Amino acid sequence: MYSRELDGKAYTFGVSGKLLHDALLMYDHQTRTLWSHITGEAVTGQLRGKQLTMLTSMPQIAWKEWRLNYPNTKVLSVQFDPRHPERRIEDRRFDSYANYRAGPDTGISSTQYTDNRLPNKAIVIGVQVNFRYCAYPLAAFEKKSVINDAIDGVPVLAFHDNVSGATAVFMRTLEGTILAFEPRSGHFAKDTTTGTRWNMITGEATEGKLKGKSLEQLPAMNIYWFAWGRYHPETTVYKCTAQMVKSSESLNGFMNSPEMI
Amino acid sequence: MVRQSIILSATVIFVLFCNVSDLGKIGAIAADKEYSQNHIYTVLPFDAIPAIKNPQFVSASEAKLHDDSPMIGVSFNGESHAYSIYLLNGHEIVNDVVGNVKIATTW
Repeated sequence: MYSRELDGKAYTFGVSGKLLHDALLMYDHQTRTLWSHITGEAVTGQLRGKQLTMLTSMPQIAWKEWRLNYPNTKVLSVQFDPRHPERRIEDRRFDSYANYRAGPDTGISSTQYTDNRLPNKAIVIGVQVNFRYCAYPLAAFEKKSVINDAIDGVPVLAFHDNVSGATAVFMRTLEGTILAFEPRSGHFAKDTTTGTRWNMITGEATEGKLKGKSLEQLPAMNIYWFAWGRYHPETTVYKCTAQMVKSSESLNGFMNSPEMI
Repeated sequence: MVRQSIILSATVIFVLFCNVSDLGKIGAIAADKEYSQNHIYTVLPFDAIPAIKNPQFVSASEAKLHDDSPMIGVSFNGESHAYSIYLLNGHEIVNDVVGNVKIATTW
């Protein structure tokens, strides 16, 4: 998710059909510069070297939980049959990536990926603070929905709910106080510092001392490990211990479930 | 229609995940952040996958979705938009405005 505004001008983007590091390059219609959708960086063309601002978003969430938290949401509606322009769809039940997601492939060539800190197809939450990159494997959230961590010394909170699929990364410093969180049911958490209950999808305090306050959210993405590791080889991986590496088989099994990206 | 779907999905997967062949080169790019056209691989023509430029929306109650449909969500300044991930497989980019913020949703 990027801002389309750069240096006071608004751009629109299309699909270039070109790849860099296995991932799609966007192009802007105004200058035909090519942009990485992984980093937001202009890689070639008139605006080469420019950087789009990454924005916060919910990279994936089940419709039920999104609607519950954002009842006034609008939903993208697409015309799918030019002969019947009045027919529009908001969803497909067919996932054209289903086989790709479920299988071990990292593309259609025989390229080998060498960063084995995680299985290639492990999904990670990718986030950066002060240009320090960190990957949180979704599998790390199997037993707890929140992880209290720090990136480059900045206290952060990573969240993933296995039920709704929601992910988010927040700053866990609020008005100068560092908060520590523990999971509650569903997409809720409690900070043990003040006892406040928080909604981890919206980032809002719902009950307790800090009710009405919001945590600052950081831009983050859900991405296959092989792509994140290639774009940001200097990335750290959350608790990449020997135990984690050993459990790669069970990680693979977890990632094969159809609801995972 | 079925055939079109198969071709579309094949091209989508091809575009997003087709590999380049020289791992050594890629490592060098990643390390140096040095990009050049030599490392960019053309798989399809421009716009073979149609990005959405003028997105249309319906309300939550009008939307034909399932509870478990995977969505991308965004919310700025009190306005929220949701996009079905399975729909975005065929478009990859939505040029949108949410709460007066001009955004590109990419998938």
